[in-house]
Amino acid sequence: MESISNVEKELEKVLSKFSALSEHSQRTLCDLITQLQNLQRDLIMLSTSNQCQLSDIQKVILNQNIQKIRDIISQIASEHRDIHSSVSRVGKVIDKNFASDFDSVSNESFLDEPLKLQLLNQVIVEHFLRQGMLDIAEELINESKLDIPPEKKNPFTELNAILDALKRKDLKPALEWTKKNREWLNEQNSLLEFKLHRLQFVELLSQGIERQNDLIAYARENFQSLAARHEKEIQALMGSLLYLKMGIENSPYSHFLDPINWSEICDVFTRDACSLLGLSVESPLTVTFNAGCQSLPALLNIKQVITQRQVTGVWNTKDELPIEIDLGKKCHFHSIFACPILRQQGSENNPPMRLVCGHVISRDALNKLTKDNKLKCPYCPVEQNPTDAKQVYF
Amino acid sequence: MSDVKCLEHQTLKVPYEILNKKFRGAQKCIDREVSYVQNAVADLEKTVLGNDVQNPPTVGTITELLSGVVEKLAALKRKAKESFTDEIEAAGCCKRRLDHLKEYCVKTNETAVNHWTKKRLDRMLVEHFLLCGYYDTAIKLALHSNVENLTNIDLFLVSRQVEESLSRKETACCLNWCHDNKSKLRKMKSSLEFNIRQQEFIELLRNNQRLEAVRHARKYFSNLDDKSEEQQKDLQHVMGLLAFQPDTEIEPYKSLFDESRWKSLINQFRQENFKLFQLSSISVFSVTLQSGLSALKTPQCYKKDGERNPDCPVCSDLLNQLAKPLPCSHCSQSRLVCSISGQPLNEHNQPLVLPNGNVYGENALKQMALKNNGKIICPRTKQVFDMKEVEKVFVM
Repeated sequence: MESISNVEKELEKVLSKFSALSEHSQRTLCDLITQLQNLQRDLIMLSTSNQCQLSDIQKVILNQNIQKIRDIISQIASEHRDIHSSVSRVGKVIDKNFASDFDSVSNESFLDEPLKLQLLNQVIVEHFLRQGMLDIAEELINESKLDIPPEKKNPFTELNAILDALKRKDLKPALEWTKKNREWLNEQNSLLEFKLHRLQFVELLSQGIERQNDLIAYARENFQSLAARHEKEIQALMGSLLYLKMGIENSPYSHFLDPINWSEICDVFTRDACSLLGLSVESPLTVTFNAGCQSLPALLNIKQVITQRQVTGVWNTKDELPIEIDLGKKCHFHSIFACPILRQQGSENNPPMRLVCGHVISRDALNKLTKDNKLKCPYCPVEQNPTDAKQVYF
Repeated sequence: MSDVKCLEHQTLKVPYEILNKKFRGAQKCIDREVSYVQNAVADLEKTVLGNDVQNPPTVGTITELLSGVVEKLAALKRKAKESFTDEIEAAGCCKRRLDHLKEYCVKTNETAVNHWTKKRLDRMLVEHFLLCGYYDTAIKLALHSNVENLTNIDLFLVSRQVEESLSRKETACCLNWCHDNKSKLRKMKSSLEFNIRQQEFIELLRNNQRLEAVRHARKYFSNLDDKSEEQQKDLQHVMGLLAFQPDTEIEPYKSLFDESRWKSLINQFRQENFKLFQLSSISVFSVTLQSGLSALKTPQCYKKDGERNPDCPVCSDLLNQLAKPLPCSHCSQSRLVCSISGQPLNEHNQPLVLPNGNVYGENALKQMALKNNGKIICPRTKQVFDMKEVEKVFVM
C-alpha cells in the first residue's frame, strides 16, 4: 500500500503541475493575443492611412509589447521544461517501490526449450477450457500452433454446457449426466443425484397447489431408488406437501427455498465432475499462480539478504528453496515429515522411524542417538533397542 | 514486500515511459512553436527599430507584421493545449492503474478480493501472451476480462506492426520506429538501425543492384560516428559481399545472404523494444508461476501414481513436467495430512499407524471401521487390519 501511495503522491504532483501550467498558459496567451489585437486596432484607428509613419510613442509601446511577448513565451517553454524533474521523479519512485529484476528468482531451465513453452501453453489452454473460455483457448491453440486432440476438449465443453444450464436453473442436462455416470457416483457416495432431484421437486413445490399431482408423480418416479440412502430427507420433502396450500415460505420447510441451494449445486456438480475426470476442483494454474503471488515476495526478500552476503541466486541450492514459505492449509496437499531432531526433511534415504514409545524421528537422528546398541527416546524416558523402531509412511 | 510490489512494475512503468515520451514530444513541439513566434517578433522588432531611413516603418507594415505575430501566438496556444491534453491523458492512464491497484489493498471482503485476483491472473496472462507474440489471444482475453486499459496492449500493437512488416521484408516501419525512439536507442547503444541498413544493402545486392548498393552504403555507413570494433568488422564483411554472388558457398558471405537474418532482425527489434520500456524478456507470469510451483513442490509429487493428490497442481501431469528442474519447498516443521481425507493431522485428528507402517488420520480410519465392522483396509496396500491393531504416532 505504501508503495502505491508513494507513486500516487508524485503522480498527483505532476498532474496538478500540468493542469496548472495548461490553464495559466492558455489564459496568458489569450490575454496577450487580445492585447495585441487591440494594439493593432488602435494603430489603424489613430492613423489616417496605411502609409503613415509610426510616432515615437507608438514605437515605444510596440517595443514594450515585443519585450512582453518574449518574456511570456520563453516563460511558458521553461516552465514546461521544469516539470521534467517531477515527471522523471515518478519513474524513479516506481523503480524504487516496485520490483523489476527477477533474474535471481527465475530458473533458466524453466522455459529453455520450445517444448516446455508448449507444455505451459497447454496448461493455459486447459485453464481456459475449464472456465468455459472456449474461443480464447482456440485462439491460443491457433497462435501457438499447439496440437490438442478434440477428445481433450470435449469433456470441458460438456461440463460447461451443464454448468451454464444449472446457472439458468435448468436441471435437465445435469440429471442426464448423473444418469450416465450413476454407477460411479454411487461408488463415491455422491449426493449429487439426490440434490438435483430435490431441487427439481422444490421448484415444483414453489409453483403451488396446482402442481400437487405432478409433485406426487415426480416423487414416485424418482425418489424410490434414492430412498435407501436418503430416507429422512425424503420424508421431510414429502412432509412439505402438507403446507402446499398455505405456501411453503411460511412453513417450517421454508429453508427448502433458500437460493443458496442453487449455488451449492454448481459446486457439488463441479467437484463430482472434476473428480470423475481425475481433475482438481480448482484450476491448477490459478492455485499455482496464487501460491506464486504469496511466495515471490518472500523469495525476492531473501534475494536481497543473499546478495548482500554475496551469494548468487536464490536457486543455488537447487533441491530446496532457501526458506520456508507457508501457503496456508489450503495448499497442504502432501504430508511432509521434518525430523524434529535434525530439522531436515525426511527422504528415501532418511525416512521417518517410529520408536517403540510412538515418537517419530528420522533414521539419521536415530543412528546418531544410538549408543551401545541402546536408544533413549529424546522425548520420553523410554529406553529401547534401536532395531525395534519401524519405518512409517505418511 | 507485498505481492503488489513484486508483480506490478510493468503495470506502472510502461505508462510512465509513455508519459515521459509524450512530455519530451510536447517540449519539442512547444519549443518549435515558441521559436516561430520569436522569429515573427524579431521581424517586427527589426522593422520598428528600423534604421532604414529611406523606408521608415509605416502603420501598414507594422499591422501586417503584428497579424503575423498574433497568428503564430494562436498556433502556439493551440499546440500547447493539445500537448497538455496529451500529457494529462498519459498521466491519467498511469493514475487509473494506480487506482486499480489500490482497490486490492482496501478490499476486505473475500469475494471482492477473489474477483480482483482473478482479474490479476488474466492481466498477467495478457502480458505474457504479448511477450510471447500471441497478440490475438492477448486481445481476446483482455476484452473478455475487461482489462484492456490495465495492460500494455497498445504498446505491443505498434511492435506487432513493425514485426509483421519486417517479416514481409519491409524496413520502412521499423526505421520509423527507430527514428521515433532515436535518443533512447542511442543511449542504449542499439545496433538495430545499423543492422537494418545492412540488410537493405544485402537485399540490393541480392537483386543485383550493385551501384545502388554502393550509393546506399555511402549514404548510411560512412557517417556512423562511434563505430565499435565489431561494427567495423561487420561493415567490412558486408562490403565484401560486393564481390560475391548471392548463391556463394563461401562463409561468412553465405550466411549474410541467408534469409534467416530477417528473423534475427525481428528478434533484435523485440529485445530492444522490451529494453526501451524496461520490460524483462521473461514475463512476470512465468516468474510467479515458477515461484508458486517451487513453493508447492514436494518429493511426493514425483512418486508413483498412487501417491499423487489430484488437487495438487504439481501432481497434475503437465505442471509436473514443468516443475521438474525447480527446487522443492523447504519445510523445517512437519506438516502432515491424512492421505485418505486430505484433512490435516493434529490433536483433533490424531495420526494413527497401521501394522504395515502406513499412517492415516483417526477420523478417516474410524469412519472406515464403522462401515466395515471394525476392519480397516489400507488404501495403499489393500491389506486388512483390525481397528484394535492401530497404534498412536507422535510427531513433534
